[in-house]
Amino acid sequence: MLNPNKNLSTSAKYGYGIASILLLLTLWSALAGFEIISPAKLPAPWDVVNAEIRILNTGVLVPAILASLQRIGIAAIFMLIVGIPVGIAMGAWPTVNAFLSPLVDPFRSAPIVAIIPILVMWFGIGETMRIVFLWLGAVVYLIPMVRDSIKAVDPCWNSLAQDRGATSMEALFTAIVPMASPRIADSIITSVSVMWTYITVAELVNAQSGLGKLIESYKKVSQMDAVVALILTIMALALITYQLMRWLRNWKYDWEAN
Amino acid sequence: MILSVRNIVQEYKTDKGLVRIVDDVTLEYDKPGINFLMGPSGCGKTTLMRLMGGVRPTNVVTPTRGTIHIDGKLCYGPHPDVVTIFQKSTNFPFKTVRQNVNYSFELGEWANRIDYDEQQKRLDWILEKVGLTDRQDNRPAQLSGGQNQRVALASAFVMKPRILLMDEPFVGLDPNTLKGMQKLLVELQEEVGCLVIFVGHDVEEALFISDRITVLTSKPAVIAKDFVITTPKALRTDDWMDTNPLPLQIEKEILHIMRQTK
Repeated sequence: MLNPNKNLSTSAKYGYGIASILLLLTLWSALAGFEIISPAKLPAPWDVVNAEIRILNTGVLVPAILASLQRIGIAAIFMLIVGIPVGIAMGAWPTVNAFLSPLVDPFRSAPIVAIIPILVMWFGIGETMRIVFLWLGAVVYLIPMVRDSIKAVDPCWNSLAQDRGATSMEALFTAIVPMASPRIADSIITSVSVMWTYITVAELVNAQSGLGKLIESYKKVSQMDAVVALILTIMALALITYQLMRWLRNWKYDWEAN
Repeated sequence: MILSVRNIVQEYKTDKGLVRIVDDVTLEYDKPGINFLMGPSGCGKTTLMRLMGGVRPTNVVTPTRGTIHIDGKLCYGPHPDVVTIFQKSTNFPFKTVRQNVNYSFELGEWANRIDYDEQQKRLDWILEKVGLTDRQDNRPAQLSGGQNQRVALASAFVMKPRILLMDEPFVGLDPNTLKGMQKLLVELQEEVGCLVIFVGHDVEEALFISDRITVLTSKPAVIAKDFVITTPKALRTDDWMDTNPLPLQIEKEILHIMRQTK
């Protein structure tokens, strides 16, 4: 019988997960090991591991990770400063939403990468442009998600607050926003994940540091194993930040665990 | 007159034009007590209650016609002396029991009304009253449905309201818990001396807790009958319900009206 809500045991959950990774690794090893696909196009898993160690030993990996992390960190701070208040305002006041949504909503489906040339014209090819790009790419996701989190709060909480004598502002900040915060936290997590997907693009133009720049330099010398190793490194970092944020969220909002 | 609702006519806009949900209802409450408002579902009880409570975010704000006076003053919109306990249990899941009961004191309106020491005294008093003193640091999720209802009751009574509106607050409780809640409500009402308007449809519940029972007919709501019960509540035992002619007579009449309006 179909049951989408079936609770898998922990061992089953990890078992299936590990099985799928093993399957992929086996397939990959076979394709690369028997050179069904040439090593220039598909480096073998062990080559990738060697490449990772090699990059680590040259001492460029850690500074690159730190540079990328710093960019994402700064962009994330600005994303929160703008995205949270704007999203809350749009969720709370339909007039604000009607006024701002034509500016915000189209950006969600905009080819954000294609905007880079414009950003270069406006902000130059330095750090500012990269931060603005990351910020823009993520904040256009965050704002509508925060707005929807506010709107999704059951109106009964607003009624309760107003009945107890709350002003509109008090109702918003003592009842609605606290009730929306777990979902707002989810939105932040998603937006930061979006930033990780944009990091290599942000570091494509004239970057002096960062993982994207490192990938570019290895690509230029056709070291595919190093490129794959770095892509996996980015994925791992994205996963770690994601899990960390999720853990933080579930700890802070333990009354609505996810 | 504590609360008077005069000549209320309430219409809703729908696709089929205006639908009249309340038709010229006048209710006057001149002394504290528990006043039961009864009628078939969808008969406009909740609408009347919302009008009295002045709760904004519904589509009902002011009556289409009619007036609401509190202490002789015309009143639309939320009134600080009118407190509502909503149909949905509304305890904030992120607050402890004590913090939930304290909620109204967090708001500017109440912070200015009574000082911190008095607030704490009231919190201790009401938590003791509802029997949750030792659960005050628990979150709502750690409590049973009945205990959560007690928290909702406490967070309303902690304000010592003049008027308390309750919209089917005890729905879904098991019979034992229900009896306990009814006793608690009667006790708290007598101690605080407020005017309670209780919307519900259980006749036995009405007979057990009410000083007055008003029966409305359905669509549009008009008052079919008003009963006043003066029997002290301490005397209203199961035995009284089963053998005394008064409750039997009232029950019979109410059921008769209900059958006719269906």
